[in-house]
Amino acid sequence: MTSTSTYTYSRTHTATHLTDVILGTISDILADLNVNMDRLRRDWVQNENAIKAWIEEGSLDAVVLECHQPSGTVAPVIEFPVSTTAGDGNAEFTASRARLARFRAKIDRMPAGTTYRLFCTFRAPRTEQPGWGPGQRASTDGLRGITFGSLGSAPHATAAMRYRYI
Amino acid sequence: MLRTKQVAASPVRSASATWTVVANLVADTVAQSSLLPRDEAEQALSAAETVGRMLIAAGHLERHPITLVAGNVHCEITTVSGTAALTLEENLNPIPGAASAASFTIYLPSPAPLQDQVKAAASAHIRLSDAAPAAPQTAAASGGPLIDRAALQRAVAQR
Repeated sequence: MTSTSTYTYSRTHTATHLTDVILGTISDILADLNVNMDRLRRDWVQNENAIKAWIEEGSLDAVVLECHQPSGTVAPVIEFPVSTTAGDGNAEFTASRARLARFRAKIDRMPAGTTYRLFCTFRAPRTEQPGWGPGQRASTDGLRGITFGSLGSAPHATAAMRYRYI
Repeated sequence: MLRTKQVAASPVRSASATWTVVANLVADTVAQSSLLPRDEAEQALSAAETVGRMLIAAGHLERHPITLVAGNVHCEITTVSGTAALTLEENLNPIPGAASAASFTIYLPSPAPLQDQVKAAASAHIRLSDAAPAAPQTAAASGGPLIDRAALQRAVAQR
């Protein structure tokens, strides 16, 4: 059976797809929140390569977007957990973009001067990726949460979203 | 005449790689004209690159095309993502009709919520626009019918 090459090929497709879904969602949300996106534009390829590599190797647990308001408040915090599934390669590549657009329509804009930080958390040892180093997440204590559910799916993994806010 | 091109995005290509394909398609088409330097198209596309990646990754380019207008070329370029991208038959050859073009404009779509990002990109190069493109010329106005009626009539008469 020649399943090895097929499996590797599908994992690459899965990683490419879910990376696009996550980064595309982050782009739209930051634009909705009125947060400066210069750094996201500048670091796009670096982030894209890192997240894709970590999904492909199965180490990525979640991508986390923190919004730091000028007052010191850290909210909203948006988590994108990635779950590895025991896929057989027959599942479809999907993205819940229409549902996401309806969700985004309810998001409040942030005060001018709000910045963001991007984190990745891991469930397994990871490869080093350029531009990424250790960081400390802010506490999410006291934040309410909305579970959006599945954001995108692929044969070997799915990405979801949790929106934490004050 | 309105033409359309579809480019496979994820999971076939990352947003960055997809933008590169779109940019090459546009630059190759513009380069058909002896009056237009390819460099100018590449510079314009470079100015649009960062917002182009966002438009692709968020799926906006699936519904809102980038439109290239150059001479007789009026081409809408969209992306296809998801399962459908895996079986998409692409034609990435230069779009015919730009040989005599003396000017070109790349119209970027401006969907919510990326309007400000698109506007900033469009203002960075004179060949970019975030306005809606004018309607394409009709086939008759842009160089005659696509069917040779006389040849058809001769073929029918010979039956």
